[in-house]
Amino acid sequence: MSAYTALTSAGYRAQVRDKATLFFTFAFPLLFLVVFGLIFSGQDVEESGRPYISYIAPGVMSWGVANAAVFGIAFTLMQWRRDDLLRLVRLTPTPLTTVLASRYVLALVVGVVQAAVFIAVAMLPGFGLALDGRWPLVLPALVAGITAFMAIGVIVGNFAHTPEAVAAIANCLMVPMAFLSGSFLPLDMMPGWLRSVSRVLPLRYLNDAATGALTGSGSLATIGIGCAALCGFALLFGGIGLKTFRWSNQS
Amino acid sequence: MTTDRTPPPGAPLTGPVAVSVQEVRKRYGDRQAVDGISLDVQRGEFFGLLGPNGAGKTTLIEIVEGLRQADSGTVEVLGERPWPRNTALLPRIGVQTQASAFFVRQTAREHLATVAGLYRKDAAAADRTLETVALTEQRDVLVENLSGGQRQRLAIASALVHDPELIFLDEPTAALDPQARRDLWEVLRALKGEGRTIVYTTHHLDEAEALCDRVAILVAGRIAALDSPHRLVAAAGAPARLLVPAGRIGVAQAAALDGVDRVSEQGGSLVLETAAPGRVLQAVDALTGLDGVMTRTATLEDVYLELTGHHHGPDAGRTPAHTTESPA
Repeated sequence: MSAYTALTSAGYRAQVRDKATLFFTFAFPLLFLVVFGLIFSGQDVEESGRPYISYIAPGVMSWGVANAAVFGIAFTLMQWRRDDLLRLVRLTPTPLTTVLASRYVLALVVGVVQAAVFIAVAMLPGFGLALDGRWPLVLPALVAGITAFMAIGVIVGNFAHTPEAVAAIANCLMVPMAFLSGSFLPLDMMPGWLRSVSRVLPLRYLNDAATGALTGSGSLATIGIGCAALCGFALLFGGIGLKTFRWSNQS
Repeated sequence: MTTDRTPPPGAPLTGPVAVSVQEVRKRYGDRQAVDGISLDVQRGEFFGLLGPNGAGKTTLIEIVEGLRQADSGTVEVLGERPWPRNTALLPRIGVQTQASAFFVRQTAREHLATVAGLYRKDAAAADRTLETVALTEQRDVLVENLSGGQRQRLAIASALVHDPELIFLDEPTAALDPQARRDLWEVLRALKGEGRTIVYTTHHLDEAEALCDRVAILVAGRIAALDSPHRLVAAAGAPARLLVPAGRIGVAQAAALDGVDRVSEQGGSLVLETAAPGRVLQAVDALTGLDGVMTRTATLEDVYLELTGHHHGPDAGRTPAHTTESPA
């Protein structure tokens, strides 16, 4: 059995046997969809005349996928280092890249399943999301986004020593970013300077690309720019993540 | 220091060397954790590393395993340098991990099969190793639900699953009950019987005496003694004790026997200390017969306490190393 297969199957079993994380990953974003769906039921955004659901559904989906990508790898790295499991891996001939590759594939599968479940629910009559014909373009956006946010998660996992620290750091990053990137509230409702600030946040680009693909708003270029920016963030944070990686808490 | 360089006449260092450590030093802040240690472990040898907590055992072992870089000195393991991470060497060595280092939410078998996969071995290797450490019955129990002793055995299994030539074990019998401990001794002896080299740390000195070909006693980052347990005990010159049931012979009579150094009464026995137990036994035999007479020889524990007992001060590292070997 290859190291990659072994790690991926162990990761898959750990994932499906962890009911709390399964809920947090798949049901929690839906909860947000329900809450925002009820608040803004049947309303349109004044500034653009488009229904709220076409903003909120791709936005909450992007946040949910990004959040799971950050938390998943950050918790795993922190826990593996704390329990000396990374020391065990370090003592085998398996390269670090194989370890990260297996986690990456797991993160991609989780993210795509998350998105599929979320979109299916958002299209139910109560929420009424209408998918645009170019919806398949959401896939490259998801892949680029999951890559960028997993890279952020690697950095968080490298520095956090406890589950509490992972939760604190990741929430501090992801909650403000979700609001500032228009995941929970349409960016069109925000002042112009805040919209400019959001240009430095990776979630903004995932939101833009996902919204463009799912609802057909904006041009194809928006999706392209979103994916390109996410790839840039992935390279930047991936580099920092590898640079700051530690096999053990000591030394 | 001569202890580690001159091979003892009884056990010449002839075979190929599995681990060679030369003048290794490692400092943490102002603490010299390893202070110029040199030692060789032969292939096929069962080598014990003893010493009080903080003596530098763990640091030394982690340097040999390639987990830490020595400040100075050279280390060779199976002819290769362990630092930086040497992926050609790693499959040839096995390291017992902490009893916490398990893949979460896996059964014992799934965990071990994953470790086997990290060495590119198949799941059959995991099954064989579970059998070796007597965990076959627990193979489908989640690692989180294993008992302390079972976790310990699974951690040892992680060191064996890929058939390594050289095995490092860190207090492998610490959390085991007496029966499981004896069972593990048999496992370790069998591994040695297959020609594998074992380097291990323990606080159980009776165990080191029973299992090890040679032991090194570390005190404050240096080697205080290095030899076979038998020779260490013999060289320490600790007296043997004959316990004669009280009332059999008088104290004065016993003290007058040829070879008896000291006589005392303890727990219903007359205790005769002697450096010549054979001669004294003969004399006692002639006087009262040997029914009920017991002999207590010095153990590795006596040697260990003698060597480590005086080294608790901050200047411990400066004390000259204790040489226990007879001149070659």
